[in-house]
Amino acid sequence: MKTVGFVLTRLARDRSALFGLVLIAALLVTALLAPILATHPEDVFELHPAERLRGPSAAHWLGTDRMGADVYSRLLFGARITILIGVIAVGASLMVGVPVGLVAGYYHGWLSDALMRVSDVFLAVPQVVLAIAIAQTLGPSLPNVILALSATYWPWFARVVYAETRALQKEVFVESTAALGASPWRLTVLHVLPNIASPIIVRASIGMGFTILTAAALGFLGLGPPPPTPEWGRTIAESREFLPDAWWYATAPGLAIFLTVMGFNLLGDGLRDVLDPRLRRARIARDD
Amino acid sequence: MTDRRTWLIVLLTLVVLATMPSIPAAAQTRFVFANESPYDTMDPHAAFDVGRVAVRLNLYDGLYRWLDNPPKLEPWLAESHTVSPDGLTYTFKLRRGAKFHDGAEITAEDVRYSAERILALKKGAAALLATMLAPGATRALDRYTVQFTLLKPSAIFLAVVPEVHVVNAALLKKNEKDNDWGAAWLTSNDAGSGSYMLTRYDPAVGFIAKRFAGHFMPWGPKYIDEIEFRLVKEDNTRVLGMIKGDYQGTGGYLPNDQVKRLREAPNVKIIEQESMRIMMFQVNNQRSPLTDVHVRRAISYAFDYDGFNKDILGGSVERNPVPIPNNLWGVPRDVKGYAYDLDKAKAELGKAAAKVDRPLTVGYLQGFSQTEQAATVMANGLRKIGIDTKLTSELWPAMVERMKKPETSPDLVVYWISTYYADPNNWIGEMFHSGQWGTFKASSFYKNPKVDELLDVALRSTDRKIREKAYQDAARIVVDDAAGVWIYNTKYFGPWAKNLEGIRFSPIGNGQEMRWVYYAK
Amino acid sequence: MRLLALALHRLAWFVPTLLGLLVVTFVISRVVPADPVALVAGETATPAQVEALRHQLGYDRSLPVQFVEYVGRLARGDMGTSIFTRRPIAEDLAHRLPATIELTVVAMLVSVLVGIPLGVLSAIWRNSPFDHGLRVVTVSGLAIASFWLGIMLQLLFAMRLGWTPLNGRLQGFPPRSITGFYLADAALTGDWPTFGAALLHLALPAATLAFPALATLVRFTRAGVLDVMQSSFVLYERAMGLPRAVIVWKYMLRSALTSTVTQIGLLFGILLAGAVVTEAVFDWPGIGTYAVNSILRSDYNAVMGFTVWAGTIFIVVNLLVDVAHTLVDPRERTT
Repeated sequence: MKTVGFVLTRLARDRSALFGLVLIAALLVTALLAPILATHPEDVFELHPAERLRGPSAAHWLGTDRMGADVYSRLLFGARITILIGVIAVGASLMVGVPVGLVAGYYHGWLSDALMRVSDVFLAVPQVVLAIAIAQTLGPSLPNVILALSATYWPWFARVVYAETRALQKEVFVESTAALGASPWRLTVLHVLPNIASPIIVRASIGMGFTILTAAALGFLGLGPPPPTPEWGRTIAESREFLPDAWWYATAPGLAIFLTVMGFNLLGDGLRDVLDPRLRRARIARDD
Repeated sequence: MTDRRTWLIVLLTLVVLATMPSIPAAAQTRFVFANESPYDTMDPHAAFDVGRVAVRLNLYDGLYRWLDNPPKLEPWLAESHTVSPDGLTYTFKLRRGAKFHDGAEITAEDVRYSAERILALKKGAAALLATMLAPGATRALDRYTVQFTLLKPSAIFLAVVPEVHVVNAALLKKNEKDNDWGAAWLTSNDAGSGSYMLTRYDPAVGFIAKRFAGHFMPWGPKYIDEIEFRLVKEDNTRVLGMIKGDYQGTGGYLPNDQVKRLREAPNVKIIEQESMRIMMFQVNNQRSPLTDVHVRRAISYAFDYDGFNKDILGGSVERNPVPIPNNLWGVPRDVKGYAYDLDKAKAELGKAAAKVDRPLTVGYLQGFSQTEQAATVMANGLRKIGIDTKLTSELWPAMVERMKKPETSPDLVVYWISTYYADPNNWIGEMFHSGQWGTFKASSFYKNPKVDELLDVALRSTDRKIREKAYQDAARIVVDDAAGVWIYNTKYFGPWAKNLEGIRFSPIGNGQEMRWVYYAK
Repeated sequence: MRLLALALHRLAWFVPTLLGLLVVTFVISRVVPADPVALVAGETATPAQVEALRHQLGYDRSLPVQFVEYVGRLARGDMGTSIFTRRPIAEDLAHRLPATIELTVVAMLVSVLVGIPLGVLSAIWRNSPFDHGLRVVTVSGLAIASFWLGIMLQLLFAMRLGWTPLNGRLQGFPPRSITGFYLADAALTGDWPTFGAALLHLALPAATLAFPALATLVRFTRAGVLDVMQSSFVLYERAMGLPRAVIVWKYMLRSALTSTVTQIGLLFGILLAGAVVTEAVFDWPGIGTYAVNSILRSDYNAVMGFTVWAGTIFIVVNLLVDVAHTLVDPRERTT
């Protein structure tokens, strides 16, 4: 386990990771300060039918939507929903996936096999399809989207943690601690968990990007939170019928998703390089 | 140049010529229509909607037919009919010599079989027909006379007669499987007599039909030889296809912005017609707090009618404050209905005995963005008078399912009531008579004995004056009770290829009956 | 022998995994609030008719019984009937499969043919402006929402420029069906205008799918090549004086592409199992749209049928990837 300071200095040296960090910081600031940064904060609910589908201008930086609401302001409030979905869904996946992975990795035998089979089952259908099925069954709403995403993402954590735990077991120090008579639970929490924190953090960062993309897809298909929620995927779906004229309407939320996901992906890559030499396969010989 | 090579070329040419499809001598005229919904069945008795009307109007004939706008009932396979004095027995005289596509003559027996088939299959127009006609109550008196004996006198029976599309009984019996009335076979085949004959069908694409020269109605000097109706889902694809000339016609209820684009295209013309298609919110009258008339009135005052009709829909529709289309008879002309007025809405809320202490669910149809926008406008108005809302959406069939019971129906649902037949009963009658509960049109679950009585009177009588008065009176009460929120009546803006002539629009067929249409050279 | 053992091991897990998958889907699909039987019965059906239909479809029995019955039928190759299209699920899937396969193959061809050379070049010219430029592309490919990319392509190429159709597989009726693949059918019947039209229809959805796939392939190829370039046997061959081009293209690629091959297999599987959102955007009549529509309409059997398909693909692809891995990588073979 490396110290936070060490990680940050290393990250700061990695230009693309730094860029990712900046993007995420920008997203957080946007979400927190949305009421201040928005030019028309009331437009989350308010309609101005007479001003619908106006192009970008000084009054409306990113134009207006089909209801005459300010696209820019709604975009900022959409960031809150995006972060909410990402953080809670990834958090919930962690809470389920990590214990499952730990147990499956630590114990050998039927329990371990069964747990990993169950997570395999969840990985055997396309994640989006599973999320769509769950979201449709539960009905379109914000909590249900989060639930659907958590239910589909936890196996990734289980897998990572399982693999890491197994790998660690082979290492001498765990074996020796066990030989000294430490209880299994103590062993797991005190020794294994800190050692596998790095891959979990990396996975969580990538998972944020993935979850946000999937959430947007659900919103796009009409399975996200209902209108007038300024969710980005839903906004893109709304905007389609006004193309090609109202290009700003479709473009802005898509760019927002793009930058957000890119932020998490870049950060994830950077973290992987710094924290986890064993996982560096994809960028192993990069020497910048 | 060697001999062998010359021979090879000759041989190749011959092969190519031999395998080439034969080209018809005269240039055939073709027409392609881009439809917004799929042609999932070719059975004329399985569907009763505008989305699949082209199948019924072009491949099949009924005893009577709705033509033009305002729609008039014209004799079609029947030459005339008589009604018994008690209004129970309708006797139709058939045209002689009218033929099905296989050459067999159309007889009274075919009409009888068709009526029984609709009632037995219980799809499409069956629900409506079954309220008037029992199975076994249709008789073929002789080869050219058919008689219907109704359960009770009905003013709208004749209006529904055009939906009794006549199918070739002998042909269907030949293709029956497990007494299914040939349903499986007819899904993808043609047993009609209509102006066009089915030549190709694919449920995922649509159908192609060629002109039936032997149709009983003489053809004009000019006509279209082959018609194709095809599913084209996106508005944008339909509009681009019209502009490029891939399609010669498409549905007339496009968003205003798209109509604007089409108007600028040199090869497209927009045919404007008054139509009959009311957009409305059904208000669940049976669920508290909507049981309180003041709450319902408050809701009626809270919808921004002008903002929606004029700004969002760009004035392509007309405000329709009552549950009968403005351009039909039976409308009480003195009733102004509700306007957007938040002060009045708040005042009504103040008068209400019931408290609005929960968010109201507002339903709209998935895939119809206009209903989503209407729901959003409604939610915004309600928010301003302090009522919370929750928007909920379903695909149409699922929404129909929810609307069968007051317990499952949303508090408000927005959609359209189109013209199934041109009579006020199609709107106010089926929407607000308590005997209609359970059908999608009646999902306001309104119950008022006085209104029931007026609607019964209107339905039983054949005297237009009595009927008109009854509908006007019923409409006054329903509007005063704010039993629903009526928004607009649609105008039809039909995009057609500029060189098409002879298009005959009626709100029932939306101009999709192709036998009248031809290309001006 | 090792291959066989591997294959057997994988196959042994096939049935339990699939069963588990079916349980999950079954549970999800049977707790839906909407009553699909009533939906099918139609808006005019009486309660008695609905119940009769429910009995006919077997939906009135208890869930475990229904599940056992379903698995029993499945074992005999019967996936049941879609309550919406009223056709056997297997037929529906088979009908839509060519569309998805055609799209997948074209998209994968593009991404392989473009992605691998780009990956190799960016490894050779490491840290050059080319490499940096390409990195922007690969990072974007994995961050872009596919439905948005599709819409942007439509906006540019279909709406503004008018070069391609907006969506669909073909306007109007397809060519005479021989293989079900429009490109192949049109070519076999010599119908070149249809061939061209089908190709144009494929362009945008294939590009949408190819972009993220390409990004992945570039990344893995680049990493693989860099890895091998620094390994001992390349250094040895370079010392032997072989020309650089020969070393790169002939010797290195084979070992460098191990992980790329894995990725190609996985990507292929992902796309085959349903490029759900992309198919929806382009209204592509494939397996993906079938899955989405079935879910939206609560069509149990169809959703289960799709699950069987996706699960099978997942397992088969993983097996093939393992096999290919063993075959391609000389190092792994010798161990």
